[in-house]
Amino acid sequence: MKSPIRLERRLEQPKWLNWAIPVISLVAALILGAIVLFATGKNPWDVYFRIFERGFAGTRALSGSLKTATPLAFTGLCAAVAFRMGLINIGGEGQLYMGAVGAAGIGIALDGQPTGVVVIAMCLAGMLCGGLYAAIVGVLRAKFNTNEIITSLMLNYIAGIFLSYLIYNSTSYWRDPVSKNFPAGKPIAERAEWNFFEFAGVKIPLAFFIAIIAAIAVWVLYKRTRFGFEVGVIADSPKAARYAGIRTSSTIILVLALSGALAGLGGAADVGNFRQLLDGKGLQMSGYGYTGIVVAALARLNPISTVVVAVLIGGLTNAGFALQGPDFPSGLVGTLQGLILFTAVAGEILIKYRIKANRRVATAVAA
Amino acid sequence: MGLETAVKMTGIVKKFPGVVANDHVNLEINFGEVHALLGENGAGKSTLSNILTGLYRQDDGIVEVGGTKVEFNSPRDALNAGIGMVHQHFRLVSTFTVAENVVLGESDSSLFMDQKAVAARVKELSDRYGLAVDPSARIWQLSVGEQQRVEILKVLYRGARVLILDEPTAVLTPIETTELFKTLRAMVAEGRTVIFISHKLDEVMAVSDRVTVLRGGRTVGTVNTRESSTRDLASLMVGRSVEFNRVVRKNPGDPNNVVLDVTNISANDDRGRQALQSVSLTVGVGEIVGIAGVAGNGQRELAEVISGMRSMTSGSISVQGENVQSGKARSAIAKGIAHVPEDRLHTGLASSHSVEDNLALKNYRTMSRFRILKRKSIRAQSTDLIERYDIKTPGSQTPVRLLSGGNVQKVLLAREFSALPKVLIAASPTRGLDVGAIETVRERLVQAADNGVGVLLISEDLDEIMSLADRILVMYEGRIVDEVPADGADRERIGLTMGGIKV
Amino acid sequence: MNSNIFIIIIASAIFYGTPLFFAALGGIFTERSGVLNLGVEGTMLLGGVSGAWASQHVGGSAWFTVLMSIVIGMIAGGITSALLAFLCVTLKTNQTVAGLAITIFAGAVGLSSYFANIWGVSKSPVPRQIRRLDVFGLADTPIVGPIIFNQTILTYVSWVLVVLATVYLFRTRFGLQLRAVGESPQTADAMGINVVKYRYVHTILGGALAGIGGVFYSLAIVPTWVDGMTKGAGWIAIALVIFGFWRPSLTLLGAYLFGALQSLGSTLKARGVNISGDILDALPFVMTIVVLVLVSSRFAHRKLGAPAALGVPYEREER
Repeated sequence: MKSPIRLERRLEQPKWLNWAIPVISLVAALILGAIVLFATGKNPWDVYFRIFERGFAGTRALSGSLKTATPLAFTGLCAAVAFRMGLINIGGEGQLYMGAVGAAGIGIALDGQPTGVVVIAMCLAGMLCGGLYAAIVGVLRAKFNTNEIITSLMLNYIAGIFLSYLIYNSTSYWRDPVSKNFPAGKPIAERAEWNFFEFAGVKIPLAFFIAIIAAIAVWVLYKRTRFGFEVGVIADSPKAARYAGIRTSSTIILVLALSGALAGLGGAADVGNFRQLLDGKGLQMSGYGYTGIVVAALARLNPISTVVVAVLIGGLTNAGFALQGPDFPSGLVGTLQGLILFTAVAGEILIKYRIKANRRVATAVAA
Repeated sequence: MGLETAVKMTGIVKKFPGVVANDHVNLEINFGEVHALLGENGAGKSTLSNILTGLYRQDDGIVEVGGTKVEFNSPRDALNAGIGMVHQHFRLVSTFTVAENVVLGESDSSLFMDQKAVAARVKELSDRYGLAVDPSARIWQLSVGEQQRVEILKVLYRGARVLILDEPTAVLTPIETTELFKTLRAMVAEGRTVIFISHKLDEVMAVSDRVTVLRGGRTVGTVNTRESSTRDLASLMVGRSVEFNRVVRKNPGDPNNVVLDVTNISANDDRGRQALQSVSLTVGVGEIVGIAGVAGNGQRELAEVISGMRSMTSGSISVQGENVQSGKARSAIAKGIAHVPEDRLHTGLASSHSVEDNLALKNYRTMSRFRILKRKSIRAQSTDLIERYDIKTPGSQTPVRLLSGGNVQKVLLAREFSALPKVLIAASPTRGLDVGAIETVRERLVQAADNGVGVLLISEDLDEIMSLADRILVMYEGRIVDEVPADGADRERIGLTMGGIKV
Repeated sequence: MNSNIFIIIIASAIFYGTPLFFAALGGIFTERSGVLNLGVEGTMLLGGVSGAWASQHVGGSAWFTVLMSIVIGMIAGGITSALLAFLCVTLKTNQTVAGLAITIFAGAVGLSSYFANIWGVSKSPVPRQIRRLDVFGLADTPIVGPIIFNQTILTYVSWVLVVLATVYLFRTRFGLQLRAVGESPQTADAMGINVVKYRYVHTILGGALAGIGGVFYSLAIVPTWVDGMTKGAGWIAIALVIFGFWRPSLTLLGAYLFGALQSLGSTLKARGVNISGDILDALPFVMTIVVLVLVSSRFAHRKLGAPAALGVPYEREER
């Protein structure tokens, strides 16, 4: 029972495919989504139009979308940085939580300091916490050959439980002692809140600029430095890396730490720019870490594209959640995100392989 | 018996991207004979046999078994037609037992496996043909020779009438080879047919009844072994008379001026078993020291330890008196040890990276400032080396995996030689290359030695070692068991020591 | 006597552990064929929501409706995993990403929520639920009563499945071939085994079993549908496969252990015993990491048995 198609590896990869495929993937995902909507009695045009409107049309929409896009840019970078070396870090979710915890702690503690100081301190705390948390995965992988997929996943759940513990099940430093009915996080000082910059009516968060800087830094790191060269060789062939004297173990740990630091920075951004406190429930419901993987996949692991794609997916996600109500189907956000991930990986395959029909050689008649 | 042949392949054509592996090949095998399929690496032997056993589909041509046309869609079809193959690279599940491997994939057996019956049948077959092996042993516990016996049992168990063996002696000692030939003769005596794929002339002469020679994807001739000689076969194989002469050296090496000193090194293989046992050797300035031995006796680990890819459990290595740190490739590189590994595309090179990146694989650290790479320098180095070493590539940024075998090796040689090393380890440097490329590589090795580099030549090709080396060391089971000067070396003695016989 | 805390814990452990076992057993089959299925969480949710729909819309006796719900949940799970098989086996995409895509696609804010919304299953408890049975009227006997004779039908089915699965894997020809496919697909292919077929069949089978696990949630544990009601059970099931060393019997025990941890927190609190529920919640995940580290060491592979080719797509005519 042979399959009717088979894949033949391409010898050369046409350059135009590199940007055409993500665009085609996105369109294909939207078409598939439209089919699902249509098959279940909804009007795809109507739904998509409303998403576009709520996500991108107008300054209020764009401002809202940037709020969602910013953490996604960070978790997207987190996933891309690791994937580039063939390390599958799906722990961005947990690393973001830990970064948020660290940043919130500093933000509360530095009550009364100038904004600039607090922003930098929160960023550093976020990066440190996220980076260390991811380094656990790195050490287990480098020293004990433990599959990083499962360990990073398990650590996500542990981080989530930790987050709940801080806000709901204890009287920790992070919990607001005076909140009325429901447990909530302690807010950071007003002066510590991160700014927004207005540009043509759209409110751009400070963190978004930080994300752009981070993206550029990652790009330079991977393309132009010795470290980036070594990462590339390890990704290509671990044996060749060993042959050339590249220290694979420490590189694995460093790459994962960097990956976690980026996610942690996203956590700091969430606390500093958007929620102004440690929001355990809100963070867990947002699922930024997992969505970041979708962003990285569609952006084909390119750091700059990641930020752009984050805006797109941020808008989609933001609109999808905001529109939820009796006359708008729930579950559309996850469905579309999933479809995008499907088409993005299918697109990757098309870049590397050519699809060929299995020829049926004519059966000869027995002599 | 009639005029039917056991196997007849007519006009077989098989293409892969960039190469025609089989170009209208014809092959006729008679019942009850040992028929050798002879050719160099890349001549098309493996492809042809893979078609015969159903792993590949031919693009054109007809295959007949016992006079009937057949179309194989899978190895199972071939097995059903009575054709079984013993592969060069074993297809065994290492965590399963011998019995489980033998019975794997059998379609006649019942739903529930009868372990006892299988074990009994395996024992019966192994006794009959002298293939001693314990049915309940797990594959990872067996030696290479024993694993091969399991492979043979697999096809016998399924009642194969035609057995194809692909380079079976590549992993055997001379004694095991003799045992194998006895087994093959026993099978043929009771009516089975054997196709013996090899590039080793002596063995072909020793065991076969007839020989078909392939060259460049085509059939160039079929002869009766009794009426032929190694000289005839060799010339058919390479297309011109081949001389096994020793190479003439401009600056013969000086064994007393030691550049590489390896003292009592021991090391383990990837499985944790001991691969090197107190190995000591020296290489002098300008010397070519050949390491002869059947693959799998520690040669790979020796190359890896000296080049720093593998840690040693004891012993020391020094280059001109300076100690090399164990297991640190950077230390070895810094002390002037160059290494052309046998696995070119995945160890010596990062295959998806460009030619220029690979040429800078070891010295990229010197081509950077403040940890940022200077692309210009890398490009300049690449352009220079491409020209000096005549590397045929579409460009400096072409991924190396797109280059031909010979040019891949040129990239490796260019990088390693241009680093002006003191010591060069060359492992199977000419394996898989075409005749022109082989000559080029050998010239470069000799040239390096003439320039004072101490060369450690590790090769399974005894002729190559005898032709190029000054001294020959023989490795067996992780030890150096013999040392002879290459000039006037006794080939038979080397063969014996390779097989573990003490002389 | 049967309100003794230990008896309640064990009985609950079996109850809560049952869906974990179904999903994990599915994972064993899938992973033994060499495919890593990270889409279990999403698959369970789709199975669960489909079962809930069936419970509302399929007429007939209670038994018949429940049976059909389970079957439909199975089918939903099987279809979802067929998609994964197509992506991983035919298209050879990265198995991790494909699995994640399915979990996001079908997950708590994805298709399962969408269907729940359209089918209106979250408005009220499902009409036909999977209830605990009173086998042979022995549910009240001391000690063994609540533990053994007061479980759901799916629990009893799972006990039979452990035996069947173990026999299948280690005593039949097909099980041997399956294990060969997971250990060394090249070898299996060379021996005439259809690697593609085995991977498809066992991935779909895995999904079907996960679907049953999902139905257990929507029809037995929390009979009113809530988006994302499995709350990570799918991920725990993935961990369970490792924890059970890819063997059905050990996986059953592991499932009950994890099930115990899940219900322990609330049970103890109700008794006034004050142990932090969070630590108990985190324990399964910590334990999995520990087990994974043990199993992954290079020499453990031989003895403890992760399929060697797990997670790697198979290409035949490779030059």
